[in-house]
Amino acid sequence: MNVYLVALLRILAALGLMLLNGVVLIYMLRKVLGYLHVRLGPMELGPHGVFQTLADVLKLLTKEDPTPTHVDRALYFLAPGIVFVPSLMAYAAIPFTGTWVIADLELGLLYTFAIMSLLPLGLVAAGWASANKWSLIGGMRSVAQQVSYEVPLLMAALPPVMIAGSLNLTDIARAQSAVWFWLPCLPAFLLFIVAGLVEANQTPFDMSEAESELVAGFATEYASMKFGLLFLSEFSNTFIFSSLLVTLFLGGWQVPFVPVDALGGWAAVVFLIKVYLVIFVLMWIRGTLPRVRIDQLLAMGWKVLLPASIVWVMLTGAAVKLWPMVFGGVQ
Amino acid sequence: MLPDATAIASLLERAGIVGAELSSEGGPGLVVRVERAQAGAVVQGLKDSDHAFVFLVDLFGIDTGEHVDIVYHLRSIARDEELFVKVAHEYGSDLASVWETHPAALMPERETAEMFGLTLSGHPNPKHLLLTSGSAPMLLKSVEIRTAEEVRNR
Amino acid sequence: MSDARDTVAHAGWLTADKPSLPDEIPLTLKRVPSGVDEVMTEHLVVNMGPQHPSTHGVLRILVELDGEEVIACESVVGYLHRGIEKLAEHRRYSAVGTLMDRGDYVSGIHNEMAFALAAEKVADIGVPRRANWLRVLMGELNRIASHLVWYGTMGLDTGAMGQFLYAVRDREDLLDILEDVTGQRMMFNYVRPGGVLNDLTPRAEKKIRAFLSTFDAYLDEHHALLGGNEIFQARTRGIGVIDKETAIAFGLTGANLRASGVSFDVRRDRPYAAYDEMDFDIPVAESGDIYARYLVRIEEMRQAARICRQCIDGLPEGEHTAKVAKVLRPPAGEAYAAVESPRGELGVHLVSDGTDRPYRMRYRPPALFGLQAAEAITPGTFLADAVAIFGSVDVVLGEIDR
Repeated sequence: MNVYLVALLRILAALGLMLLNGVVLIYMLRKVLGYLHVRLGPMELGPHGVFQTLADVLKLLTKEDPTPTHVDRALYFLAPGIVFVPSLMAYAAIPFTGTWVIADLELGLLYTFAIMSLLPLGLVAAGWASANKWSLIGGMRSVAQQVSYEVPLLMAALPPVMIAGSLNLTDIARAQSAVWFWLPCLPAFLLFIVAGLVEANQTPFDMSEAESELVAGFATEYASMKFGLLFLSEFSNTFIFSSLLVTLFLGGWQVPFVPVDALGGWAAVVFLIKVYLVIFVLMWIRGTLPRVRIDQLLAMGWKVLLPASIVWVMLTGAAVKLWPMVFGGVQ
Repeated sequence: MLPDATAIASLLERAGIVGAELSSEGGPGLVVRVERAQAGAVVQGLKDSDHAFVFLVDLFGIDTGEHVDIVYHLRSIARDEELFVKVAHEYGSDLASVWETHPAALMPERETAEMFGLTLSGHPNPKHLLLTSGSAPMLLKSVEIRTAEEVRNR
Repeated sequence: MSDARDTVAHAGWLTADKPSLPDEIPLTLKRVPSGVDEVMTEHLVVNMGPQHPSTHGVLRILVELDGEEVIACESVVGYLHRGIEKLAEHRRYSAVGTLMDRGDYVSGIHNEMAFALAAEKVADIGVPRRANWLRVLMGELNRIASHLVWYGTMGLDTGAMGQFLYAVRDREDLLDILEDVTGQRMMFNYVRPGGVLNDLTPRAEKKIRAFLSTFDAYLDEHHALLGGNEIFQARTRGIGVIDKETAIAFGLTGANLRASGVSFDVRRDRPYAAYDEMDFDIPVAESGDIYARYLVRIEEMRQAARICRQCIDGLPEGEHTAKVAKVLRPPAGEAYAAVESPRGELGVHLVSDGTDRPYRMRYRPPALFGLQAAEAITPGTFLADAVAIFGSVDVVLGEIDR
């Protein structure tokens, strides 16, 4: 087929996945939080409320979209786009199976992190442009936390890279055929979870949209589809972060004791199941823990996570070099 | 619980407060009635004494029909005693704040002043507490409460 | 005592040389020198409330922020003022109870009880022993309900949504019991001068026993979820410290005072109803921070359940109310009666002129003093701490505004 047509179809598939993910996650979030809170969640529309998201989307599409008077118009309209586009682009390098990946980039991990680092820009633009002091505080908090945690996040992702010897996400996943990396890189696994929770703006680190303090934080002045875009991209970031976690530490599309490519297309289902299990755990954490204060968060990031991740990178590097010498053979 | 009236009386005399009337009959406890000008000194003196009336339980007003009685309800935690200092204020007169002796008086004084039409002085934030500015002093007997008919026909 | 004065003067707008501030503080950005070269920075003046997910009622708090730090803070109340004290002068004694319910709406029994005690003092009415025990029983159940609301909103303020719903789940059982006994979920009008409205039915007694049998385990669960959580402890230990002198100076009572180390409880020191026959502990903490207030209230819930068990097991026989005239005409006089409401010492100072309506009824709101204290200690903390501090002193605007 025409190369450009294939590329276009892949991009549309990514967009479709993003939208479908948003639909599933809205319902999943409401149900999971509901059951954690001793209540049922949506039950009205459809059996057990499965069509609730449809109603939500229709509501968002048909809602009045007032633009406050004093907003910085250019940034106000661009900000949801600045947040949405990197979220969409990040789907490119995620390997759903050994062969199903939108763009098999040699620098897949670097590309994903680089793209995700554009998100704080959009959040602070949304906070600033809203001409609302609460949004401003929310935007400032989000940029502070996300910029601070990008280094520990990257550092925590390095041990799998060192063991696998490549930045290509498919190769990293393949390299886990013997043992999934969460075990040998346990500290990195935990650091990645914490840093990723901060990057994805989830409780206990959701200061930028802290409901009891800032109403809706940076998104207070956004209505209708702009709000929809902002929160679609938030769900999308959660998916991206979870799929990175699965790819880097939980073996990607692989099932234990089954050869790497034996599952064929079903491997994508395995991958998605793993990703949604991780998301379930994240929602579980969200429904239980209180929120950390911003200065405590930044202190933890700079004073605890960063040194810990650097130390672990050094230890892993030493171990990777010494392993062949001690145990012989190729890793 | 009821402090010794003679002890309090002598305490006040030593502090230079003259003309204080003490009574315990028909009231909520020991009531010390003093002049308006002495109120601040009395409250401070009671706090500094060895009875140690350091706790201001409440500060409020009563409209007696001829004047406004401002009541300072004081408590001594160490000796577990309570007394009431009553000060008569003419309508529209000045209420001197005692917040420097008892910071607990900050908001009750604002409320009392606005509810009884007194002017608050010596207070860091003398704004209205509960009523919107321009409202009549609601707790004065001369300010009529609206009947249900009036509310309906408004 | 200079400490308390300093904390008050520290709040930027409240200085003695600006005696007449405008009623509306203009919400602008205040440019101030940053201290670095010639760069000017801006302090944000933000408005929390009266509609805000975390104010406990219609409370408006004006906060001047330097980044995340609170420089000055002022609370504006009065949005819920209904003139309860003025209305009480125009109602018969039996009708004032409905007004008192609506003061601190979360703990109606205690409000009614304060007024009933004051009316009984002025009119010299004796209350039968069974009525006193019922008052204590209902009061302690109401205390647990009120503290559960406080616990839930404490969770919400710090970001934990689940805890609020668990607290509300237990509170539903309590409201069910209260509705069974009094007929109402919130505005009970149950405690009247002379006794209580209804006696306890066997069905209600069964419900109370069922509730008490599971409550201690649930309370442990609640405490483990919020108080045992490291993040919550990091948010509350050492934050919002009110030391002993400040607490006394600001007229704090109740759990706020006991968490700062002063052991004063109206139930023990000015016993009313049947509390002198009850066996209970009074928790006191020393540190005066938010975590101390949290611990004191959790323990108070436990003790309240203990008192309820004693009441249910030892309820004496007798009338549930004294024979009181339909239209009460107490002799002229004045009385002050206080109860230990969940927020502190709730007092009613009643002046009677011999007619069938009170001459003056003063409602001492414990939460007002708590609000003042919270407002005074907030400058210097972070915005997130400010929210937690106002939540920890347990303000209910119905009581403050009356």
